[in-house]
Amino acid sequence: MIRREVSLSYELAPGWLAPHVDGLLQGRAVARGCGTCGRVSFPPERHCGCAAPAPHWITLEGWAEVVFRTDGLDGSFALVSFAGSSTKSVVRLVLDSATGRFGTLVAPTDGQPALLLALNGKGASDDTH
Amino acid sequence: MSVIATITGAALTRFDHRRDGSSFRDWAGDAFEAALAMSGLDRDEIGALVVASESDFFTFQLNPATVIAGDLGLTGVSALRVEGGGASGQLAVHAGARIVATGQARHVAVVGVDPSASTLPGSTVKMLYGMSFDQWSDGMTGTTSTALYALSVQSFLARTGIGVWALDAVTMANRANACANPGAHLPRRHGAAEIASSPMIAAPYRRLHCSPLSDGAAALILSYPGAVPEARRGAAGIVGTGAATDKFHLGARADLGRFAAKTLAMQRACAIAAITPSDVGLAEVYDAYAGAQLQALEALGLSEQIGADLEAGRFAPSGALPVNLSGGLLGQGAPVGATGVGQTATCALALEGRYHAGLQPRELPRYALADTHGGVCTTAAVTLLQAGAEA
Repeated sequence: MIRREVSLSYELAPGWLAPHVDGLLQGRAVARGCGTCGRVSFPPERHCGCAAPAPHWITLEGWAEVVFRTDGLDGSFALVSFAGSSTKSVVRLVLDSATGRFGTLVAPTDGQPALLLALNGKGASDDTH
Repeated sequence: MSVIATITGAALTRFDHRRDGSSFRDWAGDAFEAALAMSGLDRDEIGALVVASESDFFTFQLNPATVIAGDLGLTGVSALRVEGGGASGQLAVHAGARIVATGQARHVAVVGVDPSASTLPGSTVKMLYGMSFDQWSDGMTGTTSTALYALSVQSFLARTGIGVWALDAVTMANRANACANPGAHLPRRHGAAEIASSPMIAAPYRRLHCSPLSDGAAALILSYPGAVPEARRGAAGIVGTGAATDKFHLGARADLGRFAAKTLAMQRACAIAAITPSDVGLAEVYDAYAGAQLQALEALGLSEQIGADLEAGRFAPSGALPVNLSGGLLGQGAPVGATGVGQTATCALALEGRYHAGLQPRELPRYALADTHGGVCTTAAVTLLQAGAEA
């Protein structure tokens, strides 16, 4: 057999997503808003669909409701709906064993931007949101 | 409808995990030579080569089309490589058909190949597949393909009311079909208890609900209908192709359980072929995960009561609409670049009545469908074939 080993280290520029990426590093949910149709996307969409010329950035409150959740050997992930966003988001649940329907976006501890959600253990009936 | 391209040659290598020292270049050669022999054409009649390969990470070879052209004795022809994630192979079929349709070549070789099993550890491939998703959003979470498909199928099951039992049923059916396919990676006769005891990868998907990583190749010779060799008159032909994309972010879709791009692709292919989904009598659909097959059947318009049709055996080899006779990705395997090419080859062989004994439908259908997608149906590509298609 022919053995080859490659080690790659990428430097990925955030580009137009810089406000969003910076927000994630600080645990803030920075979304894209359209002043024409009102659509708010998180993660941000460069084009909202109505072809408005100048979408703007909006900082959401940062809490979200779990719509679907999957757990297993691959980890715990969820499709969640952030308050104030027209779109849903796929997040990694930072504490796999945590339960509850609501959670808050949290900053990564390794300095790498990521969509991380910490569940607060509350269900629909006892949540204050 | 008119024939876009006649399939004068179609062949697949076996799909499995190769441990025999052979490489993807050997498999591409084997598939091509078999397809060329079936076509009755001489090598120098091939005017163009389209290669499907998902990732240079698997092959360790940039510009694989030129390398393969040389291996196949086709140096000098126009050669290109097509990549569209899991849909790479079907998109390559489309590219080949366009070359024929536009008169750039009378005979085109389409070769799909990937060493998805043997060149890298499975954990590395899983990480690489995670790069199929937007690295500035979904991909940032470290999510896996299985996790995203799991979230999508949860939405589908919740909307349709179909139970998780259907995931087991698809898994068992496809792997049982694979038992009659000598080239299949996972010919198995699973029981529900065996599936239930396999590890949970991302609920509701257990390991046995997932397609394997496979090595292998498939090849087609596509010919201008007016240039088909006498011995191949009456071969199946491509009468419709369609492709479409969906929003990259799963959460940005209006219904994350619905494969909307597949519906668009099917509508476009049907419009070209001037048929409707109800005309399709045989289908190879993209079942990277068991539930994806159910979602595909819905999106392609092949069933309005999927759970009932599944229970009634409509999609079985002896049913009214056989689905994944080959075993699909779940049973036959998934060497990514070869997948879509292999699906189309399977349909062409079945329409000619030359598919594997035990799987070949006794009554030849008029139309067959090959359906492939990449991402969580982020890119969809379907091809419609007609039996004995005349120009």
